[in-house]
Amino acid sequence: MFNLIKMNLYRMVHAVSTWVLAIVAVFLAFLDFGIMKIMVDDPFKLFGSASSQMLGTTTITGRTTIAGFLISSDILIVLSIFVVIFANAEQKNGFDKNIIGITKMKWKHTVARWLSCVIGLTAIVAVSYGLYFGLSALFMNSFAMGSVAAYLKVLATVYFGLVAFSAIFFFFTTLFRSSVGGIVASLVMSLGVLSLLEKLLDFAVKKIFTSPKILPTDLLFDSAYINFDATSATTKACLIMAGISLAYIVLSVGGSALLQQKRDVK
Amino acid sequence: MDYILTTNALTKTFGKYKASNEISIHVNRGDIYGLIGRNGAGKTTLMKMLGGLSHPTSGSFEIRGKNGENTEKMMPKVGILIENPGLYPNMTAMQNLKTKALALGIKDDNYLQGLLKEVGLDNTGKKKAKQFSLGMKQRLGIALALVNQPELMILDEPINGLDPQGIAEMRQILTHLCNDRGITIIISSHILDELSKVATRYGIIHEGKLLEEDSKEELFNKCSERLELKTSDLERTLSILQTMGFQNFEVKDDTINIYERINEGGVITVALAKENIQTNEIGVKSEALEDYYFQLTGGKENV
Repeated sequence: MFNLIKMNLYRMVHAVSTWVLAIVAVFLAFLDFGIMKIMVDDPFKLFGSASSQMLGTTTITGRTTIAGFLISSDILIVLSIFVVIFANAEQKNGFDKNIIGITKMKWKHTVARWLSCVIGLTAIVAVSYGLYFGLSALFMNSFAMGSVAAYLKVLATVYFGLVAFSAIFFFFTTLFRSSVGGIVASLVMSLGVLSLLEKLLDFAVKKIFTSPKILPTDLLFDSAYINFDATSATTKACLIMAGISLAYIVLSVGGSALLQQKRDVK
Repeated sequence: MDYILTTNALTKTFGKYKASNEISIHVNRGDIYGLIGRNGAGKTTLMKMLGGLSHPTSGSFEIRGKNGENTEKMMPKVGILIENPGLYPNMTAMQNLKTKALALGIKDDNYLQGLLKEVGLDNTGKKKAKQFSLGMKQRLGIALALVNQPELMILDEPINGLDPQGIAEMRQILTHLCNDRGITIIISSHILDELSKVATRYGIIHEGKLLEEDSKEELFNKCSERLELKTSDLERTLSILQTMGFQNFEVKDDTINIYERINEGGVITVALAKENIQTNEIGVKSEALEDYYFQLTGGKENV
């Protein structure tokens, strides 16, 4: 398994797409920071006097940077493209035929590929978010870190959520055996389209049960992630989010590994 | 026989279509085993199963006498090049080899450089695989198959699309691997003439079924010039032929095929007449390998 991860990291480092997406993520960090800076520190430029009165008093905390960058669609799209391209590359160029036949337990190949994805994703997130956070801390007039413990708790939860997202994107790519299929599925999730559909489920449940304690969107990962309030999440909310993420990781990676084990290599 | 690979009624179905229909082949250690068949005959399907890329619907195969779950343990001793060489186009030849080597825990760059030298790609430097000719890509595919030091290599159409020089180079590589490194090779090709220059044993596949399995000598005997003889008394004729010193002949149905001294038809006829044996038919026949193959598979379409 360790050797397979090393192989995957080697090809990741040598893939042009990895560096392109890393650069795009860094660019997004600058872009998102720039927009936030204008919105918070100098809203008059963007919104005029009426809106600036509403935004002008906003304080940026450590947790706000998580909500502003990591729970945004743009970074999710970049990460989904990264996962989909990486997960599909071996099959696309046929390199998997060199390895899978001689791997005794074929599922290991899939798990190793996903773990490598997580390492790559972690590196991209660390650089881009680190930059976003650093810029915010240094250059935002209204930056105040707030509770470090609460910040780390939320950061870990959101990072775990991103890992779960990667597992789901990975599963769709494995299932469809195509980058296009994986990217379409990923965009539907990243852009919140699926989340909108899931709200219809909530509506249906509310129609059937007068006051349901749990709604589908509380348990469906993408809705739970998008609705996760990083600025005020309690420990309980973080644990629930982490639990949902873990369940989706197990299901998605397990499903991908099962597909690899049972299916023929094309 | 020292078989490195045998298959036992190996079958693969896609829906109702049997791409591989109860195929049982026997590959001796040190063979270059040529799989002959048209497009869609089932060669690639069979090779994919043997290379661990595809699950058989039924049947089994043994590598070095290990079957069932133990076959899986033998797979690291198998190198494959099936359909196109699976390469990372933006990587150099060395980087492609290193990628596979890392997966196997091999860290010796000199070993990998040696493999590149063996297939004539040691001077490609920083040239990326996407800039390689088809022949170079195929040779890199062979080098990749060699990374895990295989005892058995499965090569699907490695000479397909190559120019004459590329074919000659590939033939040289295959002969070297078999003779100098003792690697057993299963190779499929459409180009029967080329296959006949390297293969030592043949399996002819048609519509998913193995029609015939022959050694090189057996197949060439079937194709080469021979004297075909039909007489009124088969048993006595055979005895007379032995008395006359003929050794290289065989009986097929009611016909005796004689593969030596084929210009002595008249002498044989006289000898048989002296013993009151009537000669019903006698004549020299010959077939090219390709003709024999067409005759066996029933036509020249789609080859």
